[in-house]
Amino acid sequence: MKKTWRTSALFAYSLAILAFLYLPLLILTLYSFNTSRINAVWTGFTFNWYISLLHNTRVIEALTNSIIIAAISTFISTVLGTMAALALNRYTYKYKAVINGLLYLPILIPEIVMGLSLLVLFSQTSIPLGKTTLILAHITFCLSFVIITVNARLEGMHKDLEQAASDLYATPWQTFRYITFPLALPGIIAGALIAFTLSIDDFVISFFVAGPNSTTLPLYVYAMVKRGISPEINALSTALMFATISLIIIAQVLQPQHTSTKKGKE
Amino acid sequence: MTKKRIILALLGIFTVAMLVLGCGGGTSKQTPSSVAKNEKQVLNLFSWADNFSPEVLAEFEKKYNCKINYDVFANNEELLAKIQAGGAQYDLIQPSDYMVSTMVKLNLLEKLDKSKIPNMKNIVKTLQNPSYDPTGDYSVVYTWGMTGIVYNKKYVEDMPTSWADLWNPAYKGRVILLNDNREVFGMALKKNGFSNNSTDKEQLDKAFSDLKTLAPSVLAYDTDTIKQKFIAEEAWIGTMWSGDASFTYKDNKDIGFVIPKEGTLIWADTFAIPKGAKNKELAEKFINFMYEPKISAQNYEYIGYNDPNEKAKEFHSQEFLKDPMLKVAVDDVNQGEWLKDIGDGITLYDRYWTELKTIK
Amino acid sequence: MKKGKLLVAPAMFWLIFFFGIPMLIVIAVSFASRTPYGQVIFNFTLANYERFLEPLYIRIFIDTVFTALCTTLITFCMGYPLAYCIAKLPHKWQQPGLILVMIPFWINFLIRSYAWVVILRSQGLINTLLLKLGWIVQPLPLLYNDYAVMLGMVYALLPFMVLPIYVSIEQLDVRLLEAASDLGAMPFTAFRKITFPLTLPGVAAGSILVFISSLGMFVVPDVMGGAKSALIGNLIQNQFLSARDWPFGSALSIVLAALALILIVLYYKALQKQEGGVDNEENLAH
Repeated sequence: MKKTWRTSALFAYSLAILAFLYLPLLILTLYSFNTSRINAVWTGFTFNWYISLLHNTRVIEALTNSIIIAAISTFISTVLGTMAALALNRYTYKYKAVINGLLYLPILIPEIVMGLSLLVLFSQTSIPLGKTTLILAHITFCLSFVIITVNARLEGMHKDLEQAASDLYATPWQTFRYITFPLALPGIIAGALIAFTLSIDDFVISFFVAGPNSTTLPLYVYAMVKRGISPEINALSTALMFATISLIIIAQVLQPQHTSTKKGKE
Repeated sequence: MTKKRIILALLGIFTVAMLVLGCGGGTSKQTPSSVAKNEKQVLNLFSWADNFSPEVLAEFEKKYNCKINYDVFANNEELLAKIQAGGAQYDLIQPSDYMVSTMVKLNLLEKLDKSKIPNMKNIVKTLQNPSYDPTGDYSVVYTWGMTGIVYNKKYVEDMPTSWADLWNPAYKGRVILLNDNREVFGMALKKNGFSNNSTDKEQLDKAFSDLKTLAPSVLAYDTDTIKQKFIAEEAWIGTMWSGDASFTYKDNKDIGFVIPKEGTLIWADTFAIPKGAKNKELAEKFINFMYEPKISAQNYEYIGYNDPNEKAKEFHSQEFLKDPMLKVAVDDVNQGEWLKDIGDGITLYDRYWTELKTIK
Repeated sequence: MKKGKLLVAPAMFWLIFFFGIPMLIVIAVSFASRTPYGQVIFNFTLANYERFLEPLYIRIFIDTVFTALCTTLITFCMGYPLAYCIAKLPHKWQQPGLILVMIPFWINFLIRSYAWVVILRSQGLINTLLLKLGWIVQPLPLLYNDYAVMLGMVYALLPFMVLPIYVSIEQLDVRLLEAASDLGAMPFTAFRKITFPLTLPGVAAGSILVFISSLGMFVVPDVMGGAKSALIGNLIQNQFLSARDWPFGSALSIVLAALALILIVLYYKALQKQEGGVDNEENLAH
């Protein structure tokens, strides 16, 4: 990118927004060292919460549940959603506009309505509440987000490359594998990131469809509110943040240099 | 490209494996008696967070060779909605006073087998047959308290004596009210000398117009983080539960708590067993266990709320018995009126509440 | 054509079963009424929908839509530049850049909100700093008002704007811009006539996701707004909880969904007209 005052201003503005995103996290991290259990004001410095966190089996269990459920929900909703987005984008058929509109419904309906109605469905069909119902519910609300995100990417794609491929006698699968998929990949990854984010911090729907002993982290934290969220949760969040950032740095360092084949430049 | 496919394939296998494990985890809880591991019974407890001393829970698990699943909720209505929509997979729940009468009317609770809970008589007489459950057939009081005025002595020089003190213009922008329509309207009704269960439109109109004048002074409506607001001195005066006042006092010694002269509401969290509970007997054993005097003392010292168990007094520490906030509730217990389920009246309350919130 | 049906089938069946059927239940309940103790009895009535037409509720709806529109606009102004920056990073750093933006949103929203309270309250970070610097004499009321609610909503929904826009910008063909500057276009003109229109799919997706999500929000008005405002999210929440009026709550949800859908369809139609123009320009450029 050419370095002009414009690009520098843009870069500075983006950094400011990033700072805006991370400022609460900074405070959060600081307060993980607070001696006060109710964590309302700063009273002193301690590492105790990190130690008690390691002994807190319930919170570790909740975290594990959250990650497993988020991983599975993300995977399935991304796969199903990408397939659906491809179909909606590439093929013309009757009522396309209507179906497109209907896809927004799961996002439009308030979470408490979705949660309760899903609970009614599960109890009427005798599906036992637990991790399974949580995953089923999460996939349901993630699907639309994935479809919309992937679709945005597909909309901007030139059909010429795909046409060229089929002119050269490529089968639909080959076209998909070598042209469509690589070009759509950023959209698919974006969709997956959104799905993961939605699932890992979902509270309302999860509350209603969770069963005994399938607590997720948001449920655990939300219930703590009445007595004050202990700094243990701050400690947990700080640890998660550092773990993720470290993973990214390690992945970056280990990755070999990429030669880009995107956008048909080469 | 191939690297990505390998990763995707691995993810796929991982997912399938997790699904199998996950599904297994979800369904096995339904048949606790068939868990081959160690033939342990499971008690599914659904309650407020941090509501039991972990040591007491561990003792119960050891004594009766069972496992306690402790799931949590954060307000009564969520509890009701979940039980109503999905049926009971829980053995023991903790609804509050008015919620018990609602659940009884909706036929959601099992009758308690009092012969299995002899320690029930340890509870102080005034709390044994409360108006929301006169026969005591469906619930046992677990924690109780009263709503009063909490204030910061640094900024509120004269001790408040009446609900009307909240309206004092000197506290503009520093008032906190609980975020609950029954509590707020109950308070305004009491201020005017009415019952906090009133559904009389004239009385509610008067309460509403009072609240309208208070609304601009309110810093926030808050039930969940009201303690933090007073500790951080964001607020100077407000309505708060006695147990919460005790917590706030521990972190900020400038806090005072009074029950106003017009009276207030008294509330209780109870033990109840939902209809269709799979381990009713074990649940009853748990309730009985909780009211053994020594266990009571240990438990309530941990959670910090008033202990309804008379027989536990001798096992409590002096610090607990002399806690000024808890003591206020005990002293003024006759000033409290229980909240009742007001049936259709709740729609009226909700309408007023919505209107109150739209005032800028 | 068959291939299309096959691809979309799994998602469709999923949504029909896990979403469609629950929705039928909700629609049925919206025509029902409640017993005095909060149970639902199915005698057909339009009372719930009629109730929505009362001025109190219409006003709440309009307030909510207005807040949602403002939130969308602000998120757009913050999200587009951020997405653009990430898309212009060296390729190796783009995915880490995205993940860096997402990480805050994997941390529990409640504790992040409470962190904002610590920053904004009257004895909080900002006020203490400003007081110490002597720039103010009284603490500023930064919390428990509509501005705090807006801040909270923008904070919660930013990734939904950034990700779709990034996805669109990333696929932009740089040669178009080079051609434009070769033909003497100023950078801003190039942006206005080429970059922005070509990234419209992402902007549309992001705006709609943010708009819809902000319509139903209730946590932010409670924590950051001091529960002093009644937005439709709070209203519906109340109907299912403290008011125990599931029929009215269901009716409100259906109305909300229907009205929002109409807005979205109109928005898409307007965009299609725009895109139609762009496609023609693109074809000419080839």
